[in-house]
Amino acid sequence: MIRFSSVTKTYKNSTVALRDVSLDIEKGEFVFLVGPSGSGKTTFIRLLLREELPDRGKIWEAGREIVHLPSWRVPYLRRNIGCVFQDFRLLPNKTVFQNVAFALEVIGRPKHVVNAQVPQVLELVGLSKKHDNLPSELSGGEQQRVAIARAFVNRPLILLADEPTGNLDPATSQGIMQLLDRINRTGTTVVVATHDAALVDWMRRRVVELDQGVIVRDQSRGVYGIDPVTGPIPRTTGPVPRTRVAARGR
Amino acid sequence: MPIKADYVARETATNLWRNRLMTIAAVLTVTVSLALVGAALLLRQGAANAEAYWQRGVQVTVWMNANASASEIHAVKMQLAEYPYVHGCFYRTRAQDYQEAQHLLAADVASALSPSTTPSSFRCIPNRPQDANSVFQRFEGQPGVAKVTAPLQQIHTMEETITVLQWVFVAVALVLLLSAAVLILNTIRMAIYARRREVSVMKLVGATNWFIRLPFMSEGLVQGLVGSLFAAAVVFGLHAVLNAIGNPNNPGSVLTQMRLSGWEVFGTEAVVVCIGMLIGSAGSAIAIRRFLDV
Repeated sequence: MIRFSSVTKTYKNSTVALRDVSLDIEKGEFVFLVGPSGSGKTTFIRLLLREELPDRGKIWEAGREIVHLPSWRVPYLRRNIGCVFQDFRLLPNKTVFQNVAFALEVIGRPKHVVNAQVPQVLELVGLSKKHDNLPSELSGGEQQRVAIARAFVNRPLILLADEPTGNLDPATSQGIMQLLDRINRTGTTVVVATHDAALVDWMRRRVVELDQGVIVRDQSRGVYGIDPVTGPIPRTTGPVPRTRVAARGR
Repeated sequence: MPIKADYVARETATNLWRNRLMTIAAVLTVTVSLALVGAALLLRQGAANAEAYWQRGVQVTVWMNANASASEIHAVKMQLAEYPYVHGCFYRTRAQDYQEAQHLLAADVASALSPSTTPSSFRCIPNRPQDANSVFQRFEGQPGVAKVTAPLQQIHTMEETITVLQWVFVAVALVLLLSAAVLILNTIRMAIYARRREVSVMKLVGATNWFIRLPFMSEGLVQGLVGSLFAAAVVFGLHAVLNAIGNPNNPGSVLTQMRLSGWEVFGTEAVVVCIGMLIGSAGSAIAIRRFLDV
């Protein structure tokens, strides 16, 4: 679903954000991208959204090479990718329903499709009763759920999350992770860039660690830090075993 | 994906309303500048009409000295008859000119003339109006010739005045048009700023670039169009007023000679509206290129 092949990205001030990164993520995987600030996590996400272009290397996404994609096709690429951020990026003057509907309206979906799909996805994220609330009337966790609903309403193949729990307390963060897990179980590939060690340890999913633009660890069912027992495990291709370590509610 | 017209119309209206003060300023500037452009165009067309009118009646008069001898008059007559630029001449005797002068001049001035002091003259029609000048040069200073008069000099002065006036109009209009474009650019920039969150979400969820740009494009276009329609109304009003003053019963009036037909005014209006739309599109296009990162 996602493939990086020898990707190097340098910014104008000659900071190397990614250095010769190669990585495969299969369809339906759930991957944590971890590493300290400035390790290249956000650059990774931005490259996948084609907000940036790499200096060298190739990137495939949903079977398509995206580095040489003509710019007029980029919007169509983004329709296959949902994305959520630490700061939610909701429109403050639109209701929950309107925020989610907006994502469908601006890609030209007809009204009856919008009216059918938005309640469904709001049900999925557990906000059926908050249709008409404004974002300012919601808690942080609820706002992030709206953002996830907006990212997922068009049923993308890939869902990217850049520090989705960065502004949330631990209990709320777990709820968000469970929601991402539920979305992952519909077959959507999920990539989460995070600092949140507790969540990564709790979820026990594939962990890719970046440090100064280099992949230093790629571990299936990994933890945030290097596992003292198993040590770093070189990543082999193939789907991640769908073992659930932590108990999931809801 | 076709972009729905009602979506563009709704978003444009929202943007315009949100920035209404700037919008009014931009529309007014467009109106004033284009009214000037329209007035300059009317002036030029009017001048062209008046010039054609004047040239139809161009006549060169070769005035003989009051004491010119019969042989001198005969020599000038022969030369005029042979001169290729002259279509035809007729000789007016002193008595005839005296009669005319009594008719034309005020009584006290006319009374100072007598048939013996009134010069005789040749009234000539040149082949083409512009040939009047060569007639002037050929016969000015000939023996027995007092002076050669042609209305060309007055026409020339008139034309120069109109040309200068026209360029002043155009220069002022250009400066105003530039400021109109900048004002439109600025309103679009403010609209883009006001909607930056929406634009970033639109980009994120895969709205096409044209879908994002079109409401801003149409906002500039609407401002240019509305301003130019007002200007067209002003130009039409100006035309109506001038035509009303230029009474057709008084063909001697310059304003009458400058009268324009409806079609000529329509052409001017079309040019004004086109320039308005051009200014609007140019302003918004630059704003979108500079400030809308899609």
